[in-house]
Amino acid sequence: MFKTIKEVLRTGNATVKYPFAPLERPKDARGKPEHDAVKCMACSACAVACPPNAIQTPLDFEANTKLWSINYGRCVFCGRCEEVCPTNAIILSPEFELAVMSKADLEEICVYSLQACVECGSYFAPTKQVDYVARILSQNLNDEEAEHALESVRLCPQCKQKADVLRFKEQSKKAGEWL
Amino acid sequence: MIIDTEYPDRLQYKLDPVVVEESVAKAKGALLNSIKRSVYLYRVDCGGCNGCEIEIFSTITPVFDTERFGIKNTPSPRHADIMVYTGSMTRLMRMPALRAYHGAPDPKLVVSYGACGCTGGIFHDNYCVWGGTDQLFDVDVYIPGCPPTPAQTIYGFAIALGLLDQKLHHSKIIEQPGDFAPIPFEAVPYKVRTAIQRKARLLSGYRSGKDLSNEFMQALESGGSDVLTNIQTLITRQTDPRRIEILTQLKDDLTTMLVDPNQNQQQLKQALQQLIPSND
Repeated sequence: MFKTIKEVLRTGNATVKYPFAPLERPKDARGKPEHDAVKCMACSACAVACPPNAIQTPLDFEANTKLWSINYGRCVFCGRCEEVCPTNAIILSPEFELAVMSKADLEEICVYSLQACVECGSYFAPTKQVDYVARILSQNLNDEEAEHALESVRLCPQCKQKADVLRFKEQSKKAGEWL
Repeated sequence: MIIDTEYPDRLQYKLDPVVVEESVAKAKGALLNSIKRSVYLYRVDCGGCNGCEIEIFSTITPVFDTERFGIKNTPSPRHADIMVYTGSMTRLMRMPALRAYHGAPDPKLVVSYGACGCTGGIFHDNYCVWGGTDQLFDVDVYIPGCPPTPAQTIYGFAIALGLLDQKLHHSKIIEQPGDFAPIPFEAVPYKVRTAIQRKARLLSGYRSGKDLSNEFMQALESGGSDVLTNIQTLITRQTDPRRIEILTQLKDDLTTMLVDPNQNQQQLKQALQQLIPSND
């Protein structure tokens, strides 16, 4: 009996104080994916990587917007969205208190506008993404390929095709060989 | 909002959800507001991977000890106050889930446990899965997580019993005009940046590769007179030999990019020389 009491006193209390005191989480603990709506450019890399389709990016052609939505109820906290994000807009925080009383609270939605093609006016990609690509291309101005890509960055895929064909026609005319 | 499947509605079987009577709903509201006794918990696995059960049982171990709040696991639905449904609602487990539900006395709380219980989780588009528990029952508390850790479980039960308040709320953010996505490490030339990121990810995997390349480029960007010394300090600060090895390889790559005589990208060389003036 005395031995048992001694052992109990030596061991102490192993129970954590949570929820009455904050819980200590280890470094790199994977909790709620925190999304920074300003850093995000709606490129959908996270939606492609997400194994349970918790992140979805449907296009709304009536309002000309792209939605970025995450459902924390479906997220498996694997961190692949964090791995693939080119702008570090989504980072898994140690936050774990996600339980809710209604299903609608599990969802987070961001709305991004679409870029209109400067030639034909059809909407084709998120404005922020086109802007990001244009800024990256303008860093490599001595590169001929990058320069041509920068000229046609605000064109929709169809208009881009047309512009490319016309450019090759001009080039081959200059070189003296006709297609 | 979330798109569950691409099939049209008329091709999908819809479950008849259990309707809660008004008097029972009222009693349930009263129970949610103030519960002044222990609650007994009955757990039904509707077709998950068993990870949630393991976490529930680690929640009742002495370390997390839910019994200090009076929450006790019971082997029979007849004694239960809280019904915990884990796993997505599968075709074959619909009837057992219903029988357990009707076996428990009213009023009772229904808890959706885990990603599968909340929305169907990673199995949401499986042929025999109808989605989460809410397809069949009126759910009171959703505990997301795959599986929820014991702390998450305690938080969920604390919400169900009114001990704590809910933190997460629905949010809708609309892009403001003039918002732009900043390029990470803009001062480092694009081609150098991608080369370093690819090499780091090749050597140490996606997750820690991103960490390592970010640290490396922070040292590059922090500038000063001598960038290579900055990187050397970063390497000497490390204690893990694997990180030292990878950072050293990245540094070697950077110097090779700088002095390679076959460097055909003249502009890359110029950009690097601007970045590392001491190495001309």
